[in-house]
Amino acid sequence: MKKITLLLALLFIILSNVVNAQTYKTRDANIFFNPNKDQSHKDYASVSKEGTAVLKVETNEVALLVPMKTFHFNNALLEEHFNENYLHTNKFPNATFKGKLIGFNKDQLAKDGTYTMSSEGQVSLHGVTQNFKAPVKLVVKGKSATFTCNFKIRADQYAIDIPALVKPKLSDETPIDANIVFQLN
Amino acid sequence: MKKRIIFLMLVCSFFVRANAQDDLLGDLVKEDASKVKQNITTATFKSSRIINFTSVEMTGKGNLQFMISHRFGQMWKEGKGWTNVAQLFGLNSGFANTYMSFDYSFTDWLNLGLATTGNAQFESWAKFKILKQQTGQKNVPISLAFYSLMHADASEGPSPDDQTWNRFSYLNQLLIARKFSESFSLQLIPSMVHYNYVPYGINNTNNIFNIAIGGRMKLTNKTAITFEYSRQLNGYKNLLDESASAVNYVPDVVSLGYDWDTGGHIFQFFLSSASSATNIGQLSANQNALKVGNFSLGFNLNRSYGIKKLVQVH
Repeated sequence: MKKITLLLALLFIILSNVVNAQTYKTRDANIFFNPNKDQSHKDYASVSKEGTAVLKVETNEVALLVPMKTFHFNNALLEEHFNENYLHTNKFPNATFKGKLIGFNKDQLAKDGTYTMSSEGQVSLHGVTQNFKAPVKLVVKGKSATFTCNFKIRADQYAIDIPALVKPKLSDETPIDANIVFQLN
Repeated sequence: MKKRIIFLMLVCSFFVRANAQDDLLGDLVKEDASKVKQNITTATFKSSRIINFTSVEMTGKGNLQFMISHRFGQMWKEGKGWTNVAQLFGLNSGFANTYMSFDYSFTDWLNLGLATTGNAQFESWAKFKILKQQTGQKNVPISLAFYSLMHADASEGPSPDDQTWNRFSYLNQLLIARKFSESFSLQLIPSMVHYNYVPYGINNTNNIFNIAIGGRMKLTNKTAITFEYSRQLNGYKNLLDESASAVNYVPDVVSLGYDWDTGGHIFQFFLSSASSATNIGQLSANQNALKVGNFSLGFNLNRSYGIKKLVQVH
């Protein structure tokens, strides 16, 4: 009798794993932004390579969380300003996205190729939540699925205060590139 | 037994369903919150100086910082009356000490600097960050740095055969700082000044000790009020100078400042009772008595340049 119990328990564990297997997760999502007015300059650009992303295949749901302190700059003073004066990262430690991939289906993961779709949902940044919609490109190659999403945000949308002295050097809309690679299994 | 199996199945199925229903972002947030994070305190002070004295802050790794600082004449000289006003409270009194320095951080714990001031005076220093204030798995209540400076006097000496090593003096300081809140930080600075040479005199000494305290109170994100007080502990009374005449130094130095961070530069405007531009002068040979009129206006201006690429951005 005990064996049956164990067996059943095991079966359920396996089953629940099967359910979980439909969720892909990565801990090294790349988020890059370049607020320079002249995009060929990258002096204010920054990148975080420590975002966490999950994709639930059946429901097309995606979520992304980026700890703000993982954004690093080439100038230590800029990084300090980013944390202390602009994004107040002690108070708002994470940027998040929660939404759906429209036009995604799990068959795409099974076959190499490039697919286009769009993501829709909400972005939370600096304590402000905004609706979000942007085109997404998916490249499936062997065991990896790469989602890229290039979009733009405006600082004032997220209540980020840019002093008048700095404003002329920055573009009105900051381009952001998200690059998320899931390892398929 | 059957009951038990059914119970187990129920429990299992509950978990599976719970897993399936949970919201994705909620899981990420929970996972993130459960991580033990090491929170390293940053920006204890705005700049690598509080006012006169160095702060525990260091120029960022791979950055070159240029600092220029000025100390003008005394605000109000007794008996000069309106001349003081005409001299714009010391701003154009014909007296100003300029201090210019470059410093570079090779790592986030080592900073090297070079400076020049006054009458052919040169300084070089090394600053080591020993402890960083932090909370998390490891708790460190203070930041600690060691500042070691060498000063060389290259001005025309009293005699041509005066030995080179007589012209060197040294400053060693411990910088012990704590950021108490987002806006309030304090720093304790015990220091020792060593002169290779002092003129003969029963009270003259090569080693001079000093204790100082400095602090910052933020007003807004970009502005702050700062203060400093230092007290010389020995070697200021009844000294003899090179020409064997008696000198008395004033052991107390008080300074009040205002920090303004414009985004690229940091301006520090201050009033200080010391008019010397070097730390050694301020800590061991201050001649200005603590009187309102003796205070002089001054400023530090910082600019740092990112020299080394730290992050690969595309």
